[in-house]
Amino acid sequence: MARTCLITGASQGIGRATAVRLSREPWLDNIVLVARSAAGLEATVEACRREAGQSPAIHPMPYDLSQLDGIPDLVARIHEACGSIDVLLNIAGYADPKSLLDTTSENLVTTFTVNVFAMLILSREVVRWMQGRPAKILNIASTAGITARPGWVAYAASKAAVVSLSQTLSEELAGTGIKVYTISPGRTATELRRKLAPEEDPTTIMQPDAVADVIAMLVGDRERTLDGQNIIVREQR
Amino acid sequence: MTVGMAVLAGGVGRRIGRPFPKQFLLLGGKPLLIHVLEKARDLEEVEDVVITCPEAHLAETVELIRNHRLGSRFRCIVGGATRQESVYLALRALESTDSVVLHEAVRPLVTLEEFRALIALPDENATYGLEIPFTVLKGHDYVEGVLDREELFNVQLPQKFDRAKLLAAHEAARQAGTEFTDDASLFVTHAEGRVRVLPGSDRNVKITVPPDILMAEALYADMIGRRS
Ligand SMILES: NC(=O)c1ccc[n+]([C@@H]2O[C@H](COP(=O)([O-])OP(=O)(O)OC[C@H]3O[C@@H](n4cnc5c(N)ncnc54)[C@H](OP(=O)(O)O)[C@@H]3O)[C@@H](O)[C@H]2O)c1
Repeated sequence: MARTCLITGASQGIGRATAVRLSREPWLDNIVLVARSAAGLEATVEACRREAGQSPAIHPMPYDLSQLDGIPDLVARIHEACGSIDVLLNIAGYADPKSLLDTTSENLVTTFTVNVFAMLILSREVVRWMQGRPAKILNIASTAGITARPGWVAYAASKAAVVSLSQTLSEELAGTGIKVYTISPGRTATELRRKLAPEEDPTTIMQPDAVADVIAMLVGDRERTLDGQNIIVREQR
Repeated sequence: MTVGMAVLAGGVGRRIGRPFPKQFLLLGGKPLLIHVLEKARDLEEVEDVVITCPEAHLAETVELIRNHRLGSRFRCIVGGATRQESVYLALRALESTDSVVLHEAVRPLVTLEEFRALIALPDENATYGLEIPFTVLKGHDYVEGVLDREELFNVQLPQKFDRAKLLAAHEAARQAGTEFTDDASLFVTHAEGRVRVLPGSDRNVKITVPPDILMAEALYADMIGRRS
């Protein structure tokens, strides 16, 4: 049966690097790309084609994940188009670093909506379709979710929530054949990181394809022991 | 004698990507500008604080000041095209003060004690200065001469001046069309009177190039007792 991987946050950064990396995997038939920017998704499609030609099929599906109510329908449409959802990679993320007194309610709500609520609702919806067959969900948390990050209070708290919800889901879904993975990358050269550390030289830190390699390893069929843990991904130099 | 303070927060840039307006960079989770203004808030002797910022960042700066509840002594004005012009506008805005303390948002690690020692000094005009610990030579592509570092010092803010005298010196500089990157230089060129030099601190670093924020984070962690 055809196998499908759904990647959120696929218009750039770690999500794009992961799509490109996974397009080389022979076991995948469909890769579905979700993010708001249609142009960003098209560029990811191009990059996948350059990497792997016409197979697997790449399906860009622009969607704003802060629209929580539409997620069930989005997932149903993806299932209808591809016939299955076997892997969900929750990569989309949002950050607007501010000191406590400068953190608006809007900032808090957007951060938690994109980073936590959308992730949970997507997981709930794909699990409905995954029932009864081996499948994997991988959530991106962050090292910011496990240590103090002054100035990033909303983002860091949302990532701590990701660690927590992933551990809970991993146990709750035990026995269903659905494995839940959590990775916490350290600083990675992307737009989001540039917002968090505008003065940093991106060439001196981990690149998105290093994280993509880890994700490809975790979602591959051979891996069956690292679920349920918070896996730190950091390139030591 | 009434004391005012001018804080230069003139960085222009984009919120994402470089150049980033440095006054809004976070250090220990707080914007650099707020580190400075919180100290100004604790200086009872300062009656009026004027922050100069680029027009493009005026609203954001005003919002920061409101969010951080700094109080009515603080106000923002639009700065000039150059640093010198911004100081000139601040001096004019601080019209009801006799003495003015000058500082900049990009030196967030200044201490209250440094401000207090400066204000309490009997001299009208003063600057902090650091010895130069390295060898300095003249020239660009080729060495053209030797400078005696014993004769030199590294200028460090904060500084203070008699407001009316510094303003007159600024007016003279405008007339003469001379540009300075520091007010002690402008003052000794265009005013009568001496500028006292107080020994500065290695920790009162200026955030100029990207690695500076890394160094400042380490110094700040040490200051607040977070270093293991
Ligand atoms: N970079 C790091 O240092 C680092 C470290 C640890 C964890 N992470 C995590 O890694 C993940 C990927 O981030 P990145 O570093 O690759 O940053 P990035 O390049 O900024 O990518 C973020 C992705 O999330 C998508 N996104 C944001 N808001 C969205 C929304 N409302 N609806 C749909 N998609 C949305 C963006 O797409 P659109 O803008 O097109 O919608 C983009 O594709 C995030 O969860 C981040 O927290 C990053």
